[in-house]
Amino acid sequence: MKHVAVAVLVAVLAGCGASGTAAPTAPTGSPAATAAPTGQGFNATDVMFLQMMVPHHGQGLEMVRIAQIRPVRPEVRMLAAAIESTQANEAENMAGWLRAWQQPAEAPADSHAAHGGMPGTSAAEIATLRTASDADFERRFLNMLIAHQDDAIQMARMEAAGGANAQATGLAKQIDRSRTAQIKQMLAYLEPY
Amino acid sequence: MQLRTKVALATAAIAAAPLLVFLMPAGPAGAHGTLSDPASRVYTCRQEGPENPRSAACKAAVAAGGTQALYDWNEVSLLEAGGRHRQLIPDGKLCSAGREKYRGLDLRRNDWPAKRISPGNLTVTYHATAPHANSNFEFYITRQGWNPTMPLRWSDLVHIRTFTNQNPTTFTNWTINIPQRTGRHLIYSIWQRVVGSNEAFYTCSDVDFGGGNPAPNPTVSDPNPTPSQTTQPPQPGGTWQAGTTYAVGNRVTYGGGTYECRQPHTAIAGWEPSNVPALWLAI
Repeated sequence: MKHVAVAVLVAVLAGCGASGTAAPTAPTGSPAATAAPTGQGFNATDVMFLQMMVPHHGQGLEMVRIAQIRPVRPEVRMLAAAIESTQANEAENMAGWLRAWQQPAEAPADSHAAHGGMPGTSAAEIATLRTASDADFERRFLNMLIAHQDDAIQMARMEAAGGANAQATGLAKQIDRSRTAQIKQMLAYLEPY
Repeated sequence: MQLRTKVALATAAIAAAPLLVFLMPAGPAGAHGTLSDPASRVYTCRQEGPENPRSAACKAAVAAGGTQALYDWNEVSLLEAGGRHRQLIPDGKLCSAGREKYRGLDLRRNDWPAKRISPGNLTVTYHATAPHANSNFEFYITRQGWNPTMPLRWSDLVHIRTFTNQNPTTFTNWTINIPQRTGRHLIYSIWQRVVGSNEAFYTCSDVDFGGGNPAPNPTVSDPNPTPSQTTQPPQPGGTWQAGTTYAVGNRVTYGGGTYECRQPHTAIAGWEPSNVPALWLAI
């Protein structure tokens, strides 16, 4: 029993990863920690980043898909559609890296309980988009997506500082820049309100 | 269920103590707390309810920044702060930690719900949903002469006290000594994690000493005026350029390659043709 608990703990901590202050080395106790098929190493921060970002991308995709079937301005619809295809592509790549590294697609449930859960937009909050009136929808959507992408920037900066894998840290830097620019664009779309 | 998991983890933690020395750096992401007394702006508005806040200030915060910031009341944080608060957070955006998500908390108005306090000892309470051992808590108050219709700059903050190497629980109390002030002020706090993460949390709590502020100005101003978008006509055959709106079939050069637009979009930094195969086809 105790062994099971320890194993769970190791998995949880490996899943949560190391911080930017930790040395960018592979996590202890994690199999396949050093040799990814690409020949590039990865560490616990890389794994945690991907495990958080894949579901986080999923939430974002849900929002932008809702936006495309609601009355929004053409420029907002165009942005939503472009976010959908770019994030779907990123999520596919990230899930592929986890598979290649033989790491679970998602961190075990509750693995972030010790620090209050991963940043994200809950299903209940996304549901408020579905029920929003047409008049209220666009502003609510933009505000929700700004908040969502702002969370993504935080996770990306953590990965850029603490990750070891070149592909993952490269994507993190690209996420930082593209989400920063998207937020700027969305703030401009909010101006008329 | 969650409680049981936590107990199991706590048991495991004892069993696995030597391991923790290396692995405890966990928990970068997410979420952890704010000052609940005097209540921070985000805590106040969260208590009022994100969908139907009562006070004019919280209504304005939602109008300016949406509800998500209030649902995530315990996350006014920077994951990679590492003590660099003053470099990372620009003046005027101290209450939002410089994050657009929380921009409603930076609104300059003199009607934020405020706790009436007096100079002398004040007990403050921090509500941590995910307490992290070994943390530093810094407390500040705005200088005499500041009022909440002014932007909050780092130079407006007067240090009161820092508690180092704290192990906060869900509700942690400290007593700080409040200096002489009149009118409305802000108590600002920084929770910097020390071990295992660079994460820091920021709080703005409105307090009122009575007596009014000099030269009150009820004007509500937007702290983040955003320049309007300038859209340039597509330049088929030209060099890829952020800000340009491209249509399907437009061709650009970027980094020595030629690309054809696959999906209409306005180009932005981070969406360079070589980075986003979903939007650009290399030809």
